[in-house]
Amino acid sequence: MPTPEKQPMSPEVMLGILKATMPFQVVSEALLRKIAAIGWKESYRAGQTLYEAGGPAEDLFIVVSGKIDHELQPGVNARRPMKTLVEGDVFGWAALLEKVPNRLAKAVCTEDALIIRINGEELLKVLGSDPDAGDVVMSRFATMITRDYTVPDLFAQLRGIHRKMHARDPQGMNVTLYRLTRWLKSPRPYLMFIGLSIFFGSWYLAVEVFKLPRFREMPGITTVVIEWLNPNPVFGLSLYSEEYYKHIAVSIWRVTQAFLLATALGVPLGLFLGWSKGVKDYVFPIFELLRPIPILAWVPIAIVMFVATESAVIFLTFLASFFATALNTMLGVESIDESYVRAANCLGASKSQVFFHVIVPGSLPFVFTGLQISVGVSWFSLVAAEMVSGQYGLGYVINTSYTMIRYPTIIIGMITLGAVGYVTSAMVRVAGDYMMQWRVRELALGSR
Amino acid sequence: MAAATAMPQGAAATRGAIRIEDVVKIYDPEGAAVMAVDHCSLDIAAGEICMIVGPSGCGKTTLLNAIAGFHEITSGRITLDGEVLCSTEKPRSTPGSDRVVVFQNGALFPWKSNLDNVAFGPVMQGKLSKTEAREKALSMMADAGLNGVEHNFPGEVSSGVRRRIEIVRALMNDPKVLLLDEPYRALDSLTKSVMHEALLEIYYRNKVTIFFITHDLEEAIFLGHKVAIMTSRPCKPKKILTVDIPHPRDYGVLTSKRFRELIEETNEAVHEEAVKAFQSGEKEG
Repeated sequence: MPTPEKQPMSPEVMLGILKATMPFQVVSEALLRKIAAIGWKESYRAGQTLYEAGGPAEDLFIVVSGKIDHELQPGVNARRPMKTLVEGDVFGWAALLEKVPNRLAKAVCTEDALIIRINGEELLKVLGSDPDAGDVVMSRFATMITRDYTVPDLFAQLRGIHRKMHARDPQGMNVTLYRLTRWLKSPRPYLMFIGLSIFFGSWYLAVEVFKLPRFREMPGITTVVIEWLNPNPVFGLSLYSEEYYKHIAVSIWRVTQAFLLATALGVPLGLFLGWSKGVKDYVFPIFELLRPIPILAWVPIAIVMFVATESAVIFLTFLASFFATALNTMLGVESIDESYVRAANCLGASKSQVFFHVIVPGSLPFVFTGLQISVGVSWFSLVAAEMVSGQYGLGYVINTSYTMIRYPTIIIGMITLGAVGYVTSAMVRVAGDYMMQWRVRELALGSR
Repeated sequence: MAAATAMPQGAAATRGAIRIEDVVKIYDPEGAAVMAVDHCSLDIAAGEICMIVGPSGCGKTTLLNAIAGFHEITSGRITLDGEVLCSTEKPRSTPGSDRVVVFQNGALFPWKSNLDNVAFGPVMQGKLSKTEAREKALSMMADAGLNGVEHNFPGEVSSGVRRRIEIVRALMNDPKVLLLDEPYRALDSLTKSVMHEALLEIYYRNKVTIFFITHDLEEAIFLGHKVAIMTSRPCKPKKILTVDIPHPRDYGVLTSKRFRELIEETNEAVHEEAVKAFQSGEKEG
């Protein structure tokens, strides 16, 4: 078919026409101007075909004058596939749908017609520059497609439009970045800042300004910060001393070993406990007997059992993590809806296929909850273990600083522990999000 | 309508005949024997849409579970195309892809994309490679008007779309029977009407026996060749109605005189059982 020439159109006129269409009615003047800037005018004679079903869908059309017959192909399931388009009608919206690169309809002029044509990709880019207004435009497109074009069930595709407009299909790290920018735009980081200020402010006031008797021996925040930033620390430990990093590294290494071991043993055990009634009947009572025993109660046995102190420390750190991981994994398996297993059986999955395709992915949300708890308790038990034995590590720092009356160093050790613990727990969360895209997206839609 | 041309009238399906013979199911929770199904017999012809209507908790699902192989029966026999699925001697049938269930609350795997959900059956059975199964799934989804959602997760699409995907997932296995357990129960009436037409369209294209459980009489008469109205617990057919409105049907049927007559004819029987169920205070199930 002969392509008509692109004709320029005065932005003012185009603005007026856009403003009269259903999708663009409510858009601000400024955004309309941007949209008008990417559109152009074309004229067609009666009988000319604008496009056929199956052709590439790149542009969106708006009728300025004339009449156009629009017939949706049967696969679209429109209640009334035929529609005559007149002034102000918008068509060619397949250009905006996600994963529909082709025309869904045939459009033929029945009278000489003048139309405005806008490239779909460019329109989405413009709308993306103002996502809030863009969302409104898109939902009006949605209403138009279901109401005027009687196409059912485009709901899901329209969701797709939203995402396309936001110009990202969040995956992996992108989700995290996306969340980060959203977080920075919300009031939460600022409230967090205020909360922290109040906390450290009260510490400062209680110790250094009012000198409350209860806090007589407590080092003030300025003392701690000065010591921490001191190239020649009074008590031997600051950001500048090599020792400081050695302590951190040793602790992290111990937690890593214990955490990995707990995960490698705890997740499979939990899966089997949840999956097989027999395994559960054997193992669970022992499990429940050992689980409530506090880590400190294990210390003497650990020291007796392991000749090397290093192994004893790792064993103690491992224990609590292991129980948390195994228990949550088991709960995860038990939480899986019976229908999923039945559906898999119906569809011909064998027992092992059910295990790997249903049980494992289905329990992942609980598994990661367990791993978060696990990494938390591993720090907890690490410090307990390091206080009892060991040569290095943050727990060791805190304990020896106490016996040697280096009070600011205790606080440095504590705050460092808090920060490192927080980072490791965040890493587990990120790994979980990465492995459970389906859940991240589901939750994102739920909170919309 | 496209459906009218797709299926020549009267072409009989040759497979998927279910015969339920004298089936009894007694639950025995804590020694108190509860009869869920009482000497129930029902014949479903190959390629027939059979609607099972009864009040919630009457034991309809027990029958479906027996056919699908999720539960044992106490006595009786169920056959599919003459082959015994379960009987007094072998109380539990083996679940298989010739009888696929579409579940009440939906059972698409939320951790798999819609496409991988549809491709699941043939891949698990080793009938198709992953790539082949995906290709077939793509074309089947396109046929059902589900293009555009293939790479989304089930949690990202509407419940109506999810139900349709689940039906396509079942059809991927070329089953003899589709077992539907109140699949549209949670949908609003508008979506439901769209789903009914979509189901019929799918049915006209793949003539498969449909065993459809519902408590909605209008839905039953609109869709079914045969409507079995079940008694409240214990469950057995109280009245079997043959719907003489010709297929293919569309929503025009709902306002037809014959449809209204059929509703009137059966309404009382259904209501009676609903009252009985209400009075006995059975838990929904």
